[in-house]
Formats: sequence, structure tokens, C-alpha cells
Amino acid sequence: MNTPLPQRLWQRFTRTRVGRSIFRVGLPQSKLERSQAMVSSFLLHVQPAKVNRHSLRAGYTLGLGLITLYLFLILIGTGVLLMFYYVPSTQQAYDGMKDLQFVVSAGLLIRNMHRWAAHLMVLFVMLHLGRVFYTGAYKQPREFNWLVGVGLFLLTLALSFTGYLLPWDQLAFWAITVGTSIAGYAPVVGQKLRFLMLGGHTVGQEALIRFYALHVIVLPALAVLMIGVHFWRVRKDGGLSRPDEPGDVVGQVELGQVPTNKTYGLMELAQGTTPQVGKNPEDEVFAWPHLVFRELLLFLLVVAVLLFLAIFWNAPLEEFANPIHPPNPAKAPWYFLGLQELVSYSAFWGGVVVPGLLVTALAALPYLDRGCRGVGRWFARERIVANTVFTICVLAAIVFTLIGSFFRGPNWGWVEPWQKPPVVTEGH
Amino acid sequence: MNEPSLRKFYAWFTALGLLVGLLVIAGYYKDEFREWKTYQTQFRQEELRRATTPQQKLLAENTPVQIRQILLPELHRVDRCTTCHLAVDDPSYGGYAQPLAYHPLSDQHPFEKFGCTVCHRGQGRATTVADAHGNVPHWDEPMLPLRYIQASCGQCHQAADNPAAPELARGQQLFDDSGCRGCHKLNGVGGIIGPELDKVGARRSPEWLRQHFLAPSSVTPGSAMPPQKFAETNLEAITLFMLSLTGEPVPGYYASMKVIPSSSQGRRLFEQKGCIACHAVGGVGGKIGPALDDVGLRRKPEWMIQHFRNPQAVSPGTVMPQFGFTESEARALTDFLVHLRDQKVALSLPALMNPVERGRAAFRKYGCIGCHGPDGKGGVPNPNAKTAEQVPGLLYVADGYTKAELKARILDGQKEITALDPKRPPPPLYMPAWRGTINDAEVDDLVAYLFSLKPKGDDVGF
Repeated sequence: MNTPLPQRLWQRFTRTRVGRSIFRVGLPQSKLERSQAMVSSFLLHVQPAKVNRHSLRAGYTLGLGLITLYLFLILIGTGVLLMFYYVPSTQQAYDGMKDLQFVVSAGLLIRNMHRWAAHLMVLFVMLHLGRVFYTGAYKQPREFNWLVGVGLFLLTLALSFTGYLLPWDQLAFWAITVGTSIAGYAPVVGQKLRFLMLGGHTVGQEALIRFYALHVIVLPALAVLMIGVHFWRVRKDGGLSRPDEPGDVVGQVELGQVPTNKTYGLMELAQGTTPQVGKNPEDEVFAWPHLVFRELLLFLLVVAVLLFLAIFWNAPLEEFANPIHPPNPAKAPWYFLGLQELVSYSAFWGGVVVPGLLVTALAALPYLDRGCRGVGRWFARERIVANTVFTICVLAAIVFTLIGSFFRGPNWGWVEPWQKPPVVTEGH
Repeated sequence: MNEPSLRKFYAWFTALGLLVGLLVIAGYYKDEFREWKTYQTQFRQEELRRATTPQQKLLAENTPVQIRQILLPELHRVDRCTTCHLAVDDPSYGGYAQPLAYHPLSDQHPFEKFGCTVCHRGQGRATTVADAHGNVPHWDEPMLPLRYIQASCGQCHQAADNPAAPELARGQQLFDDSGCRGCHKLNGVGGIIGPELDKVGARRSPEWLRQHFLAPSSVTPGSAMPPQKFAETNLEAITLFMLSLTGEPVPGYYASMKVIPSSSQGRRLFEQKGCIACHAVGGVGGKIGPALDDVGLRRKPEWMIQHFRNPQAVSPGTVMPQFGFTESEARALTDFLVHLRDQKVALSLPALMNPVERGRAAFRKYGCIGCHGPDGKGGVPNPNAKTAEQVPGLLYVADGYTKAELKARILDGQKEITALDPKRPPPPLYMPAWRGTINDAEVDDLVAYLFSLKPKGDDVGF
């Protein structure tokens, strides 16, 4: 067989003393080595040695969760680089942005990548959440992982929101002023909560240092932990959700009933329950290379798209933050603009009740919607009620966000984006 | 189990890997090839062309291509202008086109202490032409057009003290003479109808200011300010003075440099320090010391400076005390005294004036003239005011008011001006309350002045 050059080079390297010491298994040739490649590698062992063909179908997952993970990793990488230059001081933060743009090698590129990756991560977390809903993947036994996912969604919003303030320009200052005042509408605790977030009654140095500490250590550490739990649970809950197939019921089984045709298992477990992973071994393929290579390809694709965005579009940077000159209108980050639109109708309903209900509903969803049918297929007919309700909520969120983003002008008045914006003349 | 070949993967890896590689190269090129490098190359070529000796050639060749910057921590600035304007300090580049032109500069403003943007504005940290010159979105301080550059002198120096900035001084004179302070506060002195002007030069562009003087309501709808009929040269001068009002604090070193020892500063010192108590000028003043009218003829400037430092040293036995003047104060006073004869300065010493004169000075100081017209003759339009749609003149206040009533009117103002036609918008101008701004003695003087305005022999004599 005519082996491709990279493969031959890799094989040669893994046969050397150094290569073997690092990778333990060389480039896998046999089925045994393919399993070993996964199990014996720290980075790969969170994944199974064999995966169901269904889980590899791009049309099923769309790679959304994985893309979100890659964006998060890129954010950590670029974020650390930005930390080498950033000073969380109201006097120096903005100058730092200018220096990144004008004198730091690749400074602007890294900042652009960080910015676009952050926006995309929020977007892809939402898309991933939608995918999981529409495929019914949150159902038993994956209820808790859905809950972890909702936590990660909120965490992502918090990460993006705290990062939004750091450039200390007009955009940052007023978006955070608006965003935190939405939090202030909560009854009883609202104002206290806002004070706790800002370290004061207005956005200032205290708020900046708080947001910075949350953004660079507290929230990322939490996110890493929860992402770990999320992935662990994907394994423990039996891999990605799949449609029911004859003789392939995914579910918890008593240990005494462990099927005999499994190709591998946890030998130490003697009692309790264990996930049953596929009764049909012929539906499974080795994770190496089928899963791992696909993952790597997707990573390259994400990097390419991000580089493209970062080269051609610069991250926004407005004037130095000026607490006495609010832009009109002052807008929150885009993912909160639907909320801001609702708040413009009623602070209490829009700022407290609706978001509160939404988050509660999301969290309680798998415990309320207990039917087991229609799992593992997009828009399953059996789930038409749930899908309809969810779609209405999503459409409403999109409509309100679009209105808040494009149809709101000075004094939150109605404007049409294709019309020339009205000239705002400042009074004295 | 049928294991598909890895070839498909390798093809994908190659394609995507190439794409990422190309994008990385594109990103690198965009980052590496920066505008300023072409200007540095241009400068190096010029240096090489001019080099005559091998040493000079070597020096030019080895000049590193790098960002040049002037760090100005006290001014909170980093000026990278010299990254492209490489010859600003080299007189041999006089007459060159930008960016390689030489910048003539007096010794008082060395580049390493002042940088560029503190006078020229723009964005010092930027390293592209558009960004650095500041005509880009989201940058509030574009470069000041050169014809307004004297405005920058006024950020630190007293307008009247600076012989290098005559337009600035003229602008300030116009500001004082036109009574702008009647409505606008500047340095805490002035009315409240219009906004404070302490930072107007940082907020507004020259175009905005010009337009605002000519037709205020065209840029500020509903403005109460009447259009100002400035001739073109005056319009430029007053715009220039407005641009000088940036309100930027003058920190340590710069504050110590900002006093220019000038004749007009000497005059202010002469008035403030009360020299007139012992010395007479123009026949007014004390007789303990000699009259000073022609002191410039009798004494040399060096003698006078010595005398201010230590009177005993040059004039043993004199009773004049040592006042501890600073060097620049001594020079300013000397300058004033030397030119006393040819300037025929009218000293405005409150203690020497009668109440009417003091009142006239206050009338000017607080900008009453801005609405009530020169010498209180009135005539400034106030649309829809019952008083003939004008601010009333003050020539006959003595007939309509007692002194106490007039004083109360000045201190408490009149917020409500009776409208001619109730259906139209109310008159924009009104009499602000001056209590807290004008002190009691000044009000008395103002009243005395206003009562003196009544034309002589104009008594109807009931």
C-alpha cells in the first residue's frame, strides 16, 4: 500500500525512543492500537475508543458543541496574549487598546480574534442549545447534562459581558451601564446586586477591576470545570443521543443485565447502574481516526474562519469612556438587546419576569418534558408541541433582539435601518 | 468492518491546512507592512542621497526602522508623530514637504518636553496618517487647522501676555468687549443663560463655532443666543479664542513655564501689588517713592531687575522693601516700567477710580454689554419680548428705579419676560440673577454707573 508521506514521517517519529515515550502507541495500525491510542492519551481519553456512526453524522450535531469548545480554547489563547498588554485601570485600559492597534506586533489581529470569537461563542452556545432541544437530546438520562449546559450558556453570557467593559471606551462603558441597570430592576435584591457587580453606584474603576478579575480568572476557571463535567457526562450518559433503533435502546440498565455482546465495559463496577452503550457493535467505528480526524478538521475550519474575520474586520473601539456624554441611544451588548427592548416596555416584566421565567423554564425543561419518544432526530413529529413552543420563544427572542439592534434610534424611538439616521443635535 | 481509507482525511487536512497557512501569512503581511515604514524608507533614502562621507552613509544605512515616540507622562500623552515626521528637529530639512519638513521651534518648547499633540492635537498614539491626524470616526480631537494654531498658546499662556499670538489676544479682547460673559461663564465669572465655556475648545470644532456665531439656532436649535455680526477677521479671532479654551489642566513643569514675562503681566502685577501706594503714575499715587512716569529714561532694565531682586543692593538706604518677586515677575515689571511712557497705559486701579468708573469696568467685566449693548444703549434682539422685541436699553433706568430697586433687579434678575404675543414662544433672553457672582460693592458701583447714563439736560422736570 502506498502510504502518504505525512503518515510515513509520523510512523518513523513514533518509532524513535523519544516519539514512543511521548505517544506510547505509534500511529495506530491495528484495531487494538486504535483503541489504545484513545485510552492511553490524556487528551483523547475523555472520548470512547469506539463511537456510534450516528454520532459522526455532521447533519445531526452540526459540530456546534465542538465549535463552541474550540472558540473557548481560542479565547483562552488570545485572552492570555491580551493580558500581557492590558492594564485594568480606567486611565490605562483605553491607551492599551490603542497601543495594541498601532504598535504591538499582531496586537490588533489578536484583539480582533478575541472579539469575534467571543461573539461567535455566544452565538454557537445558543445554536448548540437549539440543536439539543430540537433533537430531544436533553431527555433521560441526559437531564442533568442539559442543566450543566444551561449553566454554561449563562456563564458564556457572563464571560462576554464582563469582557465587554474592558476596553473602557464609550461602547463598553454605556453597554455595561445599561446592562447592569437591567439587573437593577430585580425586586428587593436588584439594586444590591448591581452594587455588588459594580462595586459602586456607577461604572468606574471598581467595576473595571471586578469585571477584569471575573473575566480573566473566576469565570474561565468555572467554565473549564463545567465544560469538564459536561463532557464527562456525555460519556457517562451513553454518548451522544441517538434515535431508537431496534435492539439499540439507550438507557440505564441494571448491572446484572449487562448484555454479553458489548465489546468493552467497566469491569470494576459490581452494583448500581451503568449506561448501556449500543447493542449493535457493527454500528460503531473506531474513534481513531474517524472521530479524532473530523474534530481536527473542524478545528482548522474554525481557526480559518476566525482568522478571516480578524484580518478583514476590526473589533470596534469608540471614544474614551465619558460618563457625562451618553450616546443616544445607549445600547447593551447584542445578546441583551432583546431584554433591553422588553425593558423599554416594562422594567419589571421585561427586566425581571421574562428573563427569570425563561431561565427557570430552560432549567426545568428535562424534568417537565418526560416523554422518551423522538430522541435523536431533528424536529421529531412526536415532539411537535415542545418544538412549537420552543420555536415561538426563539422567534420572539430573535424578533425583539433585531428590533433592539436595528430599529431603535435616539431615545429608543423607532427608526428604520435603511433610512438615513436622524441628525441628533446636542443642546447646550 | 469496512474502514474507509485515511486518504480522504489527508486531502481535507491539506486543503484546510493550506487555507489556515495562507490566512496566517495574510495576517502577517497586514501586520508587518505598516504605513509608517514607507515614510521611514523615504527618509533613509533622502539621508543616503545627502550623505557625502562614508561614515554618514553608514549611519544612514544603519538607522533602524522602528517606532519613534515621545513619552509625556505629565501630559498623559505618547506622541508617535516623529515616527513619520522624522526631520522635525533637523534645520537642514527646512523647506521640505511633509512628512519630512523641519519644524522651527523656539527653545522654550523642546520636543522632548512638549511633544506635538499638545499644540497640534490629533492622535499621538496612532501610527497611520488618517488615525494620527485624527480625522477618523471615534476620535474627538482632530488636528487643529494651522490657521488656528495660536489657540494652543492660550491653553497655558495668558492671551494678552504672548507677543507670538496676536490673534489670540485679539480674540480675547473681542470676547471681553462683546459682553459674552453676560450669558456665559468663563473661569467662574459670567452669566448663566448660556453654557459655561471653560472646555468649549475641546468640545467643538472650528466649523461648528463659526457657524454658531453666525447663526446659533442653526446648530443649536432653540438657542437663546442672538446671531453675532462679526466681520470675517473678527469671526476667525473669536473662534480661535474659543478653541484655546480646552480646560486641559497644566501640570507641574508646564505650569512653572506658563508665565511669559510681558509688559501686560507687569501691569497686572503693578496693579495687584499696590505699587501705587508709594509711587505715582500720571500724577496719581503715593509720594513716598519717586514718580515712575519716565523711569524708563532714567534707569536701565538691568538696574531695575537688580532693584526688584534686592532694592538695597543698587540703591543703598532706600525704604523700598524686598518683595521677593520671582525672576519672571521682576522681568515683567521691568518691561512694564520701561514701556510706561510710550504705552500711555491707563492703569485700572479700583482704589483710584470713582464709583462710576468702577461701575463701567464691572459693566464690561460681567458682559452686561452683551445684551444691553455698548454703554447700555440696548438693541440686542430678543424675539417676542414686549419691549419692542429687544433687550431694553438702560439709559433711563434712573427714571424708573430707585437705587435699591435697581440693585435688587441686578441681584435677583427677572426670569419671566413679558411676551408680546402669548402664542409665540417666550422670549429666549432674560435677566439672570447675579447674586453670588457679583459682590455687593460692585453692584453699588454698577448702580452708580447706570444712574450716570442718563443724558445730561434730558430731565423732563415734572
